[in-house]
Amino acid sequence: MSSFRKALKSRQRNHHERSQPGSRKQLGLLEKKKDYKLRADDYHKKQNTLAALRKKALEKNPDEFYFNMISSKLQDGVHIAKKPKEEVEVTEEQKKVMRTQDIKYVEMKRVSEAKKIERLKGELHLLDADSKQKNKHTFFVDSKKEVQSFDLAQHLQTAPELVDRVYNRPTLKTLETKSIQGATEPHTMKKLARQRKHQYTVLSQRIDREKKMFVISQKIQTRKDLQDKTKKVKVKKETPNAAAIYKFEAKRKR
Amino acid sequence: MKPGFSPRGDRGGRGGGFKSPEGGGFRGRGGGRGTPRGRGGRGGRGGRGGFGGGKKVLIEPHRHEGVFICRGKEDALVTKNMVVGDSVYGEKRIGVEEGETKIEYRAWNPFRSKLAAAILGGVDQIHIKPGAKVLYLGAASGTTVSHVSDIVGPEGLVYAVEFSHRSGRDLLNVAKKRTNIIPIIEDARHPHKYRMLVGMVDVIFADVAQPDQTRIVALNAHNFLKNGGHFVISIKANCIDSTAAPEAVFASEVKKMSAEQMKPQEQLTLEPYERDHAVVVGIYRPAPKQKK
Repeated sequence: MSSFRKALKSRQRNHHERSQPGSRKQLGLLEKKKDYKLRADDYHKKQNTLAALRKKALEKNPDEFYFNMISSKLQDGVHIAKKPKEEVEVTEEQKKVMRTQDIKYVEMKRVSEAKKIERLKGELHLLDADSKQKNKHTFFVDSKKEVQSFDLAQHLQTAPELVDRVYNRPTLKTLETKSIQGATEPHTMKKLARQRKHQYTVLSQRIDREKKMFVISQKIQTRKDLQDKTKKVKVKKETPNAAAIYKFEAKRKR
Repeated sequence: MKPGFSPRGDRGGRGGGFKSPEGGGFRGRGGGRGTPRGRGGRGGRGGRGGFGGGKKVLIEPHRHEGVFICRGKEDALVTKNMVVGDSVYGEKRIGVEEGETKIEYRAWNPFRSKLAAAILGGVDQIHIKPGAKVLYLGAASGTTVSHVSDIVGPEGLVYAVEFSHRSGRDLLNVAKKRTNIIPIIEDARHPHKYRMLVGMVDVIFADVAQPDQTRIVALNAHNFLKNGGHFVISIKANCIDSTAAPEAVFASEVKKMSAEQMKPQEQLTLEPYERDHAVVVGIYRPAPKQKK
């Protein structure tokens, strides 16, 4: 019998939900019971909260003591704690990882990240990075006179425009005799520069990630070590980017 | 780079052991991973990925002959590979087609090599050029040595001195493929032990990281360096005196050199690639100045 019913169903017209009439289009989608329910529940929840707060304020005992009365003060109409809030030792992100992953996994991820960094560093040599740490270049000359007449471009036998291009300052002779090979069209050069930039961002992200991973694995390890019963003293507090440091009493192993 | 002195940044302590030792590193990871792809499509492409010819890089000749700058997706110092198709310590190889001929370059990592760091730092002269004879003290596994051998080319010679047998083994393997490297597993403090192997050289490069480094270089210079030859010394301040300020250490080393007829010409610190390192370049027994 059911098959007959199903066969019938295939012939009947599809049911369509009633939609907003064209004349009332400006009101947006037509609200259904489901939507109304959501809206109403939300409204009532808010109203109840307000009522509860009002009641609380009404029934408040003006003589009652609260610790906030002495531990906070009013500044420009805003309550401010007198003592600065304790800094977080473990960020939420770290907590999440530490709760769900074990040290071996974190360490494995960190090592794989470190390897990728190593490989990227092998081909990205920070040639003209802007915020590069500056090195110091000293030339030794024989007399004071030479110091006064010292000209860097002349000493390096290069063009004055190239003096700041530290990673490669071709000599005038090189400039005359040698030529650049490979992709020299401006279009491809632009494209390559874009790719290069992307590679550098990838590298810096990986370095950040590796650092974070390192901190997390250290923190997990410290917590593990703390389960040891030997006497220990906290030397340094935990911070978001370093594990706490404890000093353990030296104990002779037998 | 010595295996014992691999810089690990400033964190120290536990949980270490992630840095791959010298040669170990990663080889290309193309083939043989996971299930075989089967059914044609992209099969056989194993080995290295990345560059597939075409004009994907720009090769710029460097101030120092035999060294190049490669600017493509990568941003690297490179040397022309003498043994095409072979990378020594897992470094990246970059092929460039110029008409019919195909040239291969190898990336030279300044984070691992002091000489590369000095070149990118803008050193005036390295005196290592095609055809030069180089005495390399502290060759370690031969990573930098391989690049020096690329620079000097088939006409040049590199005498690579290393004391440690362990890294000397890697050095021997490098020398097997590169005929212009002469490996010497001896203590650089006793140059008379290898005097039969080494002829006069044009330049001495030293990266030995020993407190008496300058004396070692001077000894070798007296034995093998021609008059008016040059020396390039990499100094790690921590290895000489870990308590003194790096600048003071460099200054005292430069002073020691002058006492040994080695006249320093320039000094360069190696930031951002190395911390508290300097490279000193100078001339040995310069010809007396002509009077006007």
